[in-house]
Amino acid sequence: MDTKVRSFELTMWPHMRAAYNLARWLVRNDQDAEDIVQDSFLKAYKAQESFRGSDSRVWMLSIVRNTALDFLRRHKSRSVVSLEDQVHEPADHTPDPERELLESTRREQVREAISHLEPEFREVIVLREMEGLSYKEIASVLSIPMGTVMSRLSRARSLLLVELGGAKGVSA
Amino acid sequence: MTCREAGPLLHARLDNELDMAGSANIDLHLAECRACAAQYAALESLRKEIVAADLGYAPGAALEGKIAAQFSEERRSPFRFWSWNWLSAPVMAAALAVAVLVVAIPILRKGNGADAVGAGIVDNHLRALQPMHQVDVLSTDQHTVKPWFQGKINFSPPVPDLTKEDFVLLGGRLEVIHQQPAAAIVYRRRQHIVSLYVSPSQGADLKPELRDFGGYHLLHWLQNNMGYWAVSDVDPSDLRTFGDLVRSN
Repeated sequence: MDTKVRSFELTMWPHMRAAYNLARWLVRNDQDAEDIVQDSFLKAYKAQESFRGSDSRVWMLSIVRNTALDFLRRHKSRSVVSLEDQVHEPADHTPDPERELLESTRREQVREAISHLEPEFREVIVLREMEGLSYKEIASVLSIPMGTVMSRLSRARSLLLVELGGAKGVSA
Repeated sequence: MTCREAGPLLHARLDNELDMAGSANIDLHLAECRACAAQYAALESLRKEIVAADLGYAPGAALEGKIAAQFSEERRSPFRFWSWNWLSAPVMAAALAVAVLVVAIPILRKGNGADAVGAGIVDNHLRALQPMHQVDVLSTDQHTVKPWFQGKINFSPPVPDLTKEDFVLLGGRLEVIHQQPAAAIVYRRRQHIVSLYVSPSQGADLKPELRDFGGYHLLHWLQNNMGYWAVSDVDPSDLRTFGDLVRSN
């Protein structure tokens, strides 16, 4: 017995940002996302021995994902409303205001496009493009085969390309 | 390879999920097929756009505090979760190991019984190493940990930020040392936990003194009527470095 016995908190704490990001993208509301992360950490705490030997990030994200989907099922009507009152982060400060406007507009377009995807496509984009998970890790988080991960990513990206006009930017 | 076959593989190629042979195959097709090459370029620029947009959401500072508070509450009522699940073999083995250690260490150092306080501190550190007992306030931010002690103890313990020196602040908790309220500030150095105990202690300043307790090291010093005890199983030289950092802060 030595200090290698790492507490639950030490293992799970680093995943809070990823947990929040996934929850926030799934429920599209700050407060609900916070509640879901809090709830998920509690669930993880209560079941902590079941993650021994497995990847703690994947484990945490799968709890968050299931908690968020439960929430969406329970608040079906509300999640439609929350689409309207999304909180937008302020754009980064760039010295050139014109460029800033163009960039933030495009940034918002990308954000909106992802936000409008169905949850099953949205989550693979978040996990792959924002969290950098491998197909294998995404497959574990979502409990689906790796082939399905690939086909969902393929479908999600095709939808985004259509929505964003081929991702050509705003140079026109 | 047909375009139909290539379709989903474009994504696997983009995501670095193909082995060398698979990548070579798809690259061959991309060199021959303008439609697929254009599609691949579009996917690449979509990826770039999503990354450049930096759309990740960061949790507000309050969330960390809320979850930490939630954990403290759970810790205070451990029996709520004391189910048979908990008594899985690894948990039992770990608990037994701790028990053996906590019992054995005082026996091992019987010959060295001069320092009951030091022994008590090492025991306390060992108990704290059990999961969920390390900290009452869980935060890597000194400005969260320091105020947490206010109103709980009548002195203000130093909570230096030593992240740059590779001592990462984990949080703090309240302890009693020699019938005195004490602040325990917990740091992590790689896989090792370092507990710093601080308690008012009258007397002349005392230079750091290192003692060994069955594999654990205890560094004790007195400074400005405050007693400091740093305990860990890190290398003794690391513990001395830690002591110097705290003293100069």
